[in-house]
Amino acid sequence: MSLVRNNGADMVSGQEGVCQGEETEPVVITPDDVLKMTRISDGFLCSPEANIYDIDFTRFKIRDLETGTVLFEIAKPQSGVIFIIPDSVETPTDEEEPADPNAGRFIRYEFTPNFLKLKAVGSTVEFRVGAQPVNKFRMIERHFFRDKLLKTFDFEFGFCIPFSSNTCEHIYEFPPLAPDLIEEMINHPFETRSDSFYFVDNHLIMHNKADYAYNGGLGSSVSSSAGDGQEVDK
Amino acid sequence: MGLLTVLKKLKQKEKEMRILMLGLDNAGKTTILKRFNGEDIDTISPTLGFNIITLEHRGFKLNVWDVGGQKSLRSYWRNYFECTDGLIWVVDSADKRRLLDCKKELHQLLDEERLAGATLLVFANKQDLAGALSFEEIRDVLDLTSIKTHHWQIVGCSAVTGSHLLEGIDWLIDDISARIFSLD
Repeated sequence: MSLVRNNGADMVSGQEGVCQGEETEPVVITPDDVLKMTRISDGFLCSPEANIYDIDFTRFKIRDLETGTVLFEIAKPQSGVIFIIPDSVETPTDEEEPADPNAGRFIRYEFTPNFLKLKAVGSTVEFRVGAQPVNKFRMIERHFFRDKLLKTFDFEFGFCIPFSSNTCEHIYEFPPLAPDLIEEMINHPFETRSDSFYFVDNHLIMHNKADYAYNGGLGSSVSSSAGDGQEVDK
Repeated sequence: MGLLTVLKKLKQKEKEMRILMLGLDNAGKTTILKRFNGEDIDTISPTLGFNIITLEHRGFKLNVWDVGGQKSLRSYWRNYFECTDGLIWVVDSADKRRLLDCKKELHQLLDEERLAGATLLVFANKQDLAGALSFEEIRDVLDLTSIKTHHWQIVGCSAVTGSHLLEGIDWLIDDISARIFSLD
């Protein structure tokens, strides 16, 4: 895990004009492109149809390493079609149409301030693969608060067996964040965001987004918790 | 300097190790993995793909790959050999019926060129079961003493009780780090 702190606003070339929900394919996006980005992308950088390998995320889980407590878990029902997206009406993206094609690509997490005090967490993804073998499957995840890069994950799963079901848990320590930054993140829900890019053979095939609030339990106007997931105060 | 050496030099920066855990189905690979990262071991089902954990242990970044051991999956094992620093071979010490199968699969792996640089740790798992062979017996049945191409060690363990797991992992890490991180 690398922790890079960076400020700036230069965007990956070719990204301008890609609007949220727009189906047109931008120029080819490479791992290097997304690693250079200095803020969250404006929209999705590939269409849902780019996932020609039928890679299907079936579970996300975050647990506290010290206590073993599961802090968040969302699992797709065996026969489900797409994720149930909690609070989609509240997304800051004006995507309120019922047939939103990007609904399965966005997750909202709501945590209590204690989440930012955790020392180490384990973050699990579980996914299935379709009929084709998958080569050089790589995940790059970028977490930002506003234009500040908090964390980059870059991990290559490598080969995936056809019709396989796979899991990956990253156990990591939280990057040390300054107390005033933590306070800002608590006071400004959903301005902490992440882009998850998935590449096969260096081709972008999936792009998921998430946003995060850390003011849960503080009696703010945000009252709903994260859907099927559970949120546990440490 | 070969390509592998170059790759290993690159890894040195982060002290990263890639560990591949293989063995016949039902040997206990996933249970060992979950024991190691402190997860619940009550609900483990056959692995139909892989389970990966990445974690820091003793200052090293370990990437551990547990790939399913069913017969239909074994032909895919070779896709995971590249850049492997340590191979953990897990044996069900109570499954006497399949020990020759187990021996054959292990020695096939040891002939693999892409695993030539890997340290081998054999876990003689399920020592908590009454019918389990001792690690010395497993060592003899698997003919480990004939291995001259790899550093190897066998440890009797129980994934269910957790006994001797850490001992084995620590030996593996020590051997790998002595080989690839202490060059300069």
